[in-house]
Formats: sequence, C-alpha cells, structure tokens
Amino acid sequence: MVGAWTCGIRVLPDPSGAAGPGSARWPAPLTRVTIHPMPRTVVIVDDHARFRRSARKLLELEGFDVVGEAVDGASALAEVERLRPDLVLLDVQLPDASGLDLVPLLRPISEVLLVSSRDRADVSGRVGRSDALGFIPKDQLTGEAVSAALERRR
Amino acid sequence: MKALKIALAVVAVPLGVMAFRLLHGDLHQTEIRSLPAVVIGWTAIATGLLAWWQRPVNRMGVLMTLFGFAVLIRTWQYSQDPWVFAVGFLLGGLSFALLGHVALAYPTGRVVDRWEVWLVRIGYATVVAFPLAILLVAPEGARLKYAPLAPGSPILVSENADLAKALEKAYVIVFFGFITTLFVVLLLRKFVKATPRARRILLPLLIAVGVAALRAFYEFLSTFGSEVPAIADYVYWWQVAGQIALSFAIVWGLLYSRLAAAHVADLMRDLDHVPPEKLRDALARALDDPSLELAFWLPERNAYADAHGKPMTLPTPGSRRAVTVLESDGEPLAALVHDPSLREDTRLLDAAGAAARLALENARLQAELRAQLVQVQESRARIVAAGDDQRRRIERDIHDGAQQRLVALALELRAAQKRLGSGLDPDLDEVLADAVDELQLAVGELRELARGVHPAILTEEGLGAALESLADRTPIPVRIVASPVERLPSEIEGAAYFVACEALANAVKHADATSVTISAARRNGTLVVEVADDGVGGARLNGGGSGLRGLSDRVEAHGGRLRIDSPPGGGTRVIGELPCAS
Repeated sequence: MVGAWTCGIRVLPDPSGAAGPGSARWPAPLTRVTIHPMPRTVVIVDDHARFRRSARKLLELEGFDVVGEAVDGASALAEVERLRPDLVLLDVQLPDASGLDLVPLLRPISEVLLVSSRDRADVSGRVGRSDALGFIPKDQLTGEAVSAALERRR
Repeated sequence: MKALKIALAVVAVPLGVMAFRLLHGDLHQTEIRSLPAVVIGWTAIATGLLAWWQRPVNRMGVLMTLFGFAVLIRTWQYSQDPWVFAVGFLLGGLSFALLGHVALAYPTGRVVDRWEVWLVRIGYATVVAFPLAILLVAPEGARLKYAPLAPGSPILVSENADLAKALEKAYVIVFFGFITTLFVVLLLRKFVKATPRARRILLPLLIAVGVAALRAFYEFLSTFGSEVPAIADYVYWWQVAGQIALSFAIVWGLLYSRLAAAHVADLMRDLDHVPPEKLRDALARALDDPSLELAFWLPERNAYADAHGKPMTLPTPGSRRAVTVLESDGEPLAALVHDPSLREDTRLLDAAGAAARLALENARLQAELRAQLVQVQESRARIVAAGDDQRRRIERDIHDGAQQRLVALALELRAAQKRLGSGLDPDLDEVLADAVDELQLAVGELRELARGVHPAILTEEGLGAALESLADRTPIPVRIVASPVERLPSEIEGAAYFVACEALANAVKHADATSVTISAARRNGTLVVEVADDGVGGARLNGGGSGLRGLSDRVEAHGGRLRIDSPPGGGTRVIGELPCAS
C-alpha cells in the first residue's frame, strides 16, 4: 500500500508552545512546518466503545479519516478486508483474540499500529518482534505519535 | 449330617474289601494290581469326608466322596452276578465324569463358567448313556474290553455282540478322546486365567489330573491300533498315581489354609512391633496375598482412604478383586481388597482381621489424621488459588473500568485542546495541557497498581514473558538465565512469579545489590525458581518484613518449598521449588 500514500504538507502547532527554530522569522504562535507521508484512512479496533469514540474524535481532528471501527478480531478482519484502510489502530487484548496474532493477517492490506492501556513492558516482548509499525500506550495516543510511528516505517 | 458322614465312612470299608475281592478273586488280577482301586477309592472318600467336615458349605468334599464311591463301585463290573455287574457297569463310568467335575470345581466346589458347566453335563450324560446302550445289546460272553467277565445283561433288549463292541469303541473315543481333551483344555484355561494366589493352589491339582488323563489318552489311541503292553503298564500306574495325588492335592488345598492360619499366629506375634504403615505388609504376608490393599474407613468423610489419607475407591463387584469389610462395633473399620481366592476361606480372613484389629484401629486413626492433613493442604491451596483469582479479577476491573475511562478522558481533553487551537487562549491551553498530564500520571499510577495486584502479562503470555517484563522494569541489571518456554498451571506460574518479584524487590530495597540473576527451570516434575543477588545478604525467612514469610506460605500451599541462602555479606539466594507434573 506504500504506493497509495500521498504526501501532504501540514502546519502543526508546536507542542512545546515555544517558538521553534528560526522563531525570529516566524511570529510566535504560528510554528513549524512538517512534511510527512500521510495514510489518510484509519480503522479503529477496540472493544471499548468509549475509547473508539474519543480516539476517532482526536484522530479526525488531527486530519486522519476514520473510515470504520471494529469491536473484536473477527469483525476487524472483515472490516479491514472491506474498507482496506491505510492504517489499523489495533488493541492488543481483544475479547476473541490477541491483537498480536491478528497482525500477520492484517499486514498484507494495511499498516498496523498496536495500542493498549497497559504499558509496553506489560504487554509482550512479541510487540517488538511483530510486523506492526509499533506500540503506543492508549493514554499517549496523538496524531503526532501515529505520524512518528509511520515515519519510522519509511 | 454327622451321622451320614460316619455312615459313609463305615460303608466304604466293606465296599473296598469287596472291590479287592472282585479284582483279585474274580478277575484274577495280581494282588498288587488289585490294590490301586481300593486305595484310590478309600483315599478319595477319606479326604472327601475330611473336606466336607472342615468346610460344609464347600461342595468339594461331597464331590470327592462321590468320586471315591464311584471308583469302588466301578469294580462291580467284574462281578458275575448280572445285577451287580449291571450297576457297576452303569455307574462305574461316573468316576471319570466326577474326576473332571472335581478338577473344574476346585477349589470352590462350584462350576460357574458356562463352557465348564456344559462340559460337566455332557461328561455325565456320556458316561451313563453309552454303558446303558451297551447293556441293552450286549449278550452273555460278549468279551467286552472293560468287562471281560460280563455275565449277561439283566436288561437285554436284543442281542448284538458286534454292536456292543462298536458302542464300547465309540464310548472310548468320545469320552477318553474328545471329552477328556476338553476337560484338560478348560482346566488349563482356568489356570491361565487364575490370580497368582489361586494358581498356587491350582497347580498340584493340575499336575494330578494331567497325569491321570494320560491313561485316558492312551486308551483313546489304543482303539485305533494294537495294545502296547509296556506303555499300557506305565500309564496304568501313572493314572493310579495321578488319582491318589488328586486326593492329596485337595488335602494340600486344605493344609494351605492351615498353613496360612499359622501365618496369622505369626501376625499376632508381629503386630506388637509393626508400625501402622507396615501393617499392610504384615497382613499380606499372613494372608499370603502380596496384592493385598488396605482401605481405612473414615467416618467423618464417609469414605475410604489409604494409609496416607488419600481417598480410595473400593473395587466394584464383578471386578477381579474381592473386598472384605472388617467391622468394629457395627461400624466399618477397614476394608481388605484382596485376591478373590481368599474368599474361599473366610475363617482365615476373620482370624487375620481379629488379630489385627487393634493395630487396624491405630492405623485408621493415623490415616484419619493424614486425611485431615491432606484436607488442610488442599484447602490452603484453594484459598491461595481463590486469592489469585480475586487478584486477576481486580486487575481486569481496573484495566477495563477506571483506566479505560481515564484514557478516554485524556484523549477527549487532548481533542478539545486541538480544537481550540493554541492561539486563542494561552491560559485555557495551559489548563488543558496540565489536565492531560495529570491524567497521564493517574493512568500510570493505576497501571502500576494493577500490575502489582496481578500482572496481566503473566495470565496472557506466561511466566517467561512476565519475568522478562519484570526484569525490564527493575532499576538494576537482571539476567534471566533460564525460563520455561511452555505454559504451566496458572497457580504454579503465579507462585513462581511472586517468588521472583519479592526476591527482586528485596534485592533492590534491602540488599543494595548491583545485579541479579533469575533462573526458572523444570527438573523432574519440579519447577525451581532461583533468584540470586550480590547484595549484603543476611535475609531471613522469619525475619523482619513479612514478605518472605508470606511467600513461603504461598509456595507451601502448592506443596512446594522456599529456601533462603543469605550469609551476611555473601549475597542472597532465594530458591522456590514447586511441584508441577507435566
């Protein structure tokens, strides 16, 4: 799916709030310019409705296009097959499967980013060995973290 | 019944004398050749009456007595009185059928097996039917092989000497050939199927009958050719020896339990110094049944248990084992699970049971104590398991409940922050950023709490992964030299994990260690977890903090053991051994 990626230019607020390099030329609040490859479409897989809702809101605000949601492994496979998103945000512990076991099944179609409300060390050494883009603890989920993971893949 | 036995014994004497006279006087046999029938008959009657008297319920005695009389009456076929001849000729054959019957009925006196029952019936029918048929056609002076002096049948219907001789030949072929072979085959089958104790009792009989049967086979073969006097003489004497031996085999069977009774006397003497756990061995010796098992009745549990207090189920009726329950004051005391052949001798079992009663009472008390101990151990393991279960549930609840809500809240606040944009109100932006930071701290603390309660990775990925995760989070270098690849029972994984966890905490907090080595490996059905640090040592199982004590309780609840080797200044080694059969 790499070929389907589009490159975009986005203006992001500086998270530190301070002026970035070259602040002399750029007025304070308006900040730095990041050029990054952007998979636009996302499917969120998580059994907690509340998380799906807030993650969708946040990612949409960050410019991602959340095209679908799934609550467990079986529906995740069906939805990803149907929607063919650029990225799957996948919970590590699903009611019917381990997210880790789903990664190899989803990888031919989409990039996969694993999330969990547990810490990386509490999840599994298998996260690092899997073919996923990476792992983000849920409370640290931001558009930038997602983009950074995608950057590493490139 | 006593009068009957005495009468039979008395009658046997003149019958024996009469047999000798017929053989010696009428048939002109030598004296030495005239004696065997008398000896066989008298021996069988004597041993039969003895067995009958000793064990009135057992039909062996009756059968043996009948066999003895049949042997004596058989000599009547040499009488020259037509009626005496006819009775002897007609009933004498019963001695052969009875011999087979006795062999198959030994030692219980009953023939139970379907095939054996039929063979015995056919045997009786054959030995009566053929002589009867011969008597109907045999003329005077028919020169029958087995009744050469035949005075002429009193129940003659039509004379036919050739038919009589042909019938006699057929009789020999059918009975001494086929039926005797079947008797020997079924007897061998019985021997093969018998329990070891029963075999010891059966063996002499088998030999005696086998030797006696040789004569039958010789007779069978000789109908197809001419007599071979040398062999005939041999098998004659072998047959005599076999039939006398039969009586002695049965006497030996009786003696056998007499000998066992002597063992019971030994048992009574030994019981003074036999410890309860050796009681089974002593009883097995006394009853001559190495397979003996002892089950103690535990009234509190309403169940049987072995000497170690482990629950025991008694074999069901119809299995290859027999059960005798020993009672004390109407209450079951213990059950003997034994070889069914012992059932033939209830007096022996009763005697052994009575002799061992006090010792059994003691052993039962011990078994009861052990059973209670087992019960306590089991309940301790259950309590720990329930605690673990609770911990897993609490972890799950924290993870699925509060933590998820706080995470969602953090994401929503972050969304709000994004939505407002950074330029509009710096104060509000700061408030939101602080709130998000605070939430992240709260989520982090909850995560720590949940992990401390029960690490999810242990449930989901097993001990190896959980130890790795533990090592990653420990502030000093931790080397894992071995960890099981396969999953183990969750309670064992839990106990092993908490051993490592507590030992690591100890190493970091109290021992000033700079590095730790963990190994967890299965050896001979035991999971051995070893945590070694290079700290100050001096840790004690019962000292200071309750951490190690609690750990020890947890390990022991699963039947394991916790050891601590911690010389002052020499580092600390915590070793947990947990039984886990694969």
